[in-house]
Amino acid sequence: MRSPSRRRRAPYAWLLAKEWRELAVARSWWVLLAAMGPLVGMSFISSVRTYAEVSGLGGTSGGVGEALAPLIGVWAPTFSACELAAVFLLPFVAIRVVAGDRQSGALKLELQRGMPAFARISAKAMVLLAGWLLAMLPPASALLLWKSYGGTLYPPELMALMTGHVLNAGLTIALAAAMASLAEHPSTAAILTLSVTVGTWIVDFFAAIHGGLWERAASYIPSAMVWQFQHGLVQLDTVLIAIVLIAAGLAFAAVWMRLGVAVKRRAYESIALACLAAALVFGSSLVNVSWDFSESRDNSFPEADEELLRKLPPLRIEAHLAQEDPRRLEIERRAFSKLRRAMHNVEIRYVSNTSIGLMEESRPHYAEIWYQAQGRKTMSRVTTAEGVLEAIYDVEGVAAPSDTSEIVFRGHPLAAPPKGAATMFYILWPGAVLVSALIVRRRFR
Amino acid sequence: MLLEVRELSKRFGAIAALSDVSFRVREGEVLGLIGPNGAGKTTLLECLAGVLPSDSGSVTPRGIGKHLFYVPDGIAPWPSQPVGWALDFTIGFFGGRGELRQQIIDQLDLGKLLRQSVGTLSKGQRKRALLAIGLLSPQPVLLIDEPFDGLDLRQAREIATALRWHAERGRTLFLSIHQIGDAGRFCDRFVLLSNGRVCGEGTVAELASLAAARDASKTYGNLEEVFLALT
Repeated sequence: MRSPSRRRRAPYAWLLAKEWRELAVARSWWVLLAAMGPLVGMSFISSVRTYAEVSGLGGTSGGVGEALAPLIGVWAPTFSACELAAVFLLPFVAIRVVAGDRQSGALKLELQRGMPAFARISAKAMVLLAGWLLAMLPPASALLLWKSYGGTLYPPELMALMTGHVLNAGLTIALAAAMASLAEHPSTAAILTLSVTVGTWIVDFFAAIHGGLWERAASYIPSAMVWQFQHGLVQLDTVLIAIVLIAAGLAFAAVWMRLGVAVKRRAYESIALACLAAALVFGSSLVNVSWDFSESRDNSFPEADEELLRKLPPLRIEAHLAQEDPRRLEIERRAFSKLRRAMHNVEIRYVSNTSIGLMEESRPHYAEIWYQAQGRKTMSRVTTAEGVLEAIYDVEGVAAPSDTSEIVFRGHPLAAPPKGAATMFYILWPGAVLVSALIVRRRFR
Repeated sequence: MLLEVRELSKRFGAIAALSDVSFRVREGEVLGLIGPNGAGKTTLLECLAGVLPSDSGSVTPRGIGKHLFYVPDGIAPWPSQPVGWALDFTIGFFGGRGELRQQIIDQLDLGKLLRQSVGTLSKGQRKRALLAIGLLSPQPVLLIDEPFDGLDLRQAREIATALRWHAERGRTLFLSIHQIGDAGRFCDRFVLLSNGRVCGEGTVAELASLAAARDASKTYGNLEEVFLALT
C-alpha cells in the first residue's frame, strides 16, 4: 500500500517518476553505463601515459606548451568517450524511452490526461539527460584520479568541456526523440537517427572539399561543436544553435506524439516548426561572441595583441590557399579563428580554383596571403600566428605591442603513470553498474 | 443525456471505417456497442477518446477528454512496472479515484498480482488490470474495448458484477462487445454498428421493433436475432 502523500504528487511529478522508472529498467541504459567505464578507461590510461612520456617519464625529454596542457593532452581524449557513447549508445536509450509508450499502448492512456505533448516529451528529455549525467560519472571520476597523481585541474576549461558533451547529448536525445515519435517502430527510429548522424559526417566531408557554405554548416555539426568545447572555446552562436536544435527536435517529437491529430495537420506544424528553427539558427549564426576558457589561451592571441587588434580599422584578408591545403588548416586554426574572435571588423576570404591545391602550386599567386587596410596592401606567405600578426601590424601601420607582462602558459608537466585507473574503469565501475542494475531493476519491478 | 455523437466519420484511405455515426449516451447507463468484426467499433471508441482523429462530425459536450476515459483492448501499458504501481500511477497522474483502489483490487481479484510486472501478465490478468485502471480513472464515462475478451466464464461474470456495481453508483459505461450473448446479458441499451454505420440504437425491445418494422414476417425474441436482422 502506497502512502497517500505519494499519490498527492503533481501529475508532472508522476510523469517524471514514471520516466525515471522506465529508464531504470531499460537494459540499454545499463549497457551504456557499463560501457562508459572501459571506454573512458582506455582513453584516460593511454592519454595519461602519453602525457607522462612527454613530461619526461622513462627518460624521454620534456615537452613544452600546448602538449602539456591537461585539457588537450588528457581531458579532450578522456571525455571523447562521451562523444562515442552519445553517437552509438545514447540514441538507443532515448528511443527506448520515447518509443516504449507507443509500443506498449501506454501512450493511448497517457494522452487522455490532456497534458501538453511538449510537457510529456520534456519529462522524457529531462530524465534522459539525468541518465546521461550519471553516464558521465566515469570521466568525472578520472578528474579525481588525475588529482591524486598530483595533476592540476583548471575548472573553467573543464566546465566548458563538460557543457559541450551535455549539449551534444541533448542534441542526440532530441534527434532520437523526434525520430522515435515519427517512426512507427523503434528499429526504424534507430536507422533514421543514425542516418542523420552519418549525414552530418557527409556535411563535414563536403566542407573539407568544397568549403564555402558547406564549411559554415559543418562548423555547427555535433562533432565540430564538441571540438570547440574540447579546446575550451565557447561560442555563443554554437550554443544558441544547439539549444534551438534541441528545442526543435523535442517540439517535433511532441507534434508527432499526438495520436489524435490528423497527419496532414501534424505535417504542416512540422514544416512551420522547421521554418521557425531555420530562422532562429540563421539568426543565431550571426552572433559573434565567444569566450576562451582554456588555461593555455589556446584560442586567443596574447592579451596585449587582442587589445590592439580591437582598436584597429577594418581589415580585409585574401588567402590564396586551397580547401585541403594543410597550410590553410594551419593558418585558420592558429591565426584566423583567433583573429575573428579578436577583431569584429575583419573579412577573411579564401581564393582557390581547386579543392586540393596541388595543381595550383605553380600558379604565380598561389599561397599568397594579402592583407588590405586603409588603402594599403601587403603580402605574406607566413601561416603562423606571429607571422599573421606581424603582417597585420605592417599593413595597419602600427607597432606591435611592447607590453610583455602577460604570463605565458608553460604547461603542467606530470610524469606519473595512470595508477589504479585500470582497476577503477575496467573492474570497479562495470562491477558497480552490474550490482546497481540488479538492485534497481528488482526494486522498480 | 451525457454525450451526443453526431455524424462522425472516419476514412482510412479508400476505406470508410465510420460513416455519419450518430447516437447518444445517457447518464448512468451501460451502453453496449455491438457489431461484427471490422464493423468499426474500436475506431469509433478511439475517435471518441481523441486517440484517433476523426474526419468530420461532432461530439458534445466539447472538451470530451474531461468526460470520458478510454480503455483500449490488447495493450500492455508500462510493461516493466508492477500492477500496483500502474494503479498508483493512474490515481496520481490522471487524478483518479484513490478511495476506490482497494475495492477495485478486491473486485477484480488483483491482490496477488500487485507486485507482478504488467508485461508478464496473462491475457485475462492483463484485461483485469486494464479494467482496474479504467475504473480508477476520474472521468464519469468509461469507454472499454472488449471488456470480457480473454476472460473465462467465471471471471467474465465477476467482472460484469463489478462493472454493474460501478454503474449503479453513477458511472456511465460504454462497452464495445463482439460477443452478443455477453452484451445481451449485461447492457441496458445498445448501439448496433455494421460496416461503419449505425444500424440501430435502443433497448432489446426497441431494436426488436425496428427489426420487425423491416421484416414483419419474423419475430425477434433476443438480441442475437435482432443483431442478425439489422446488420
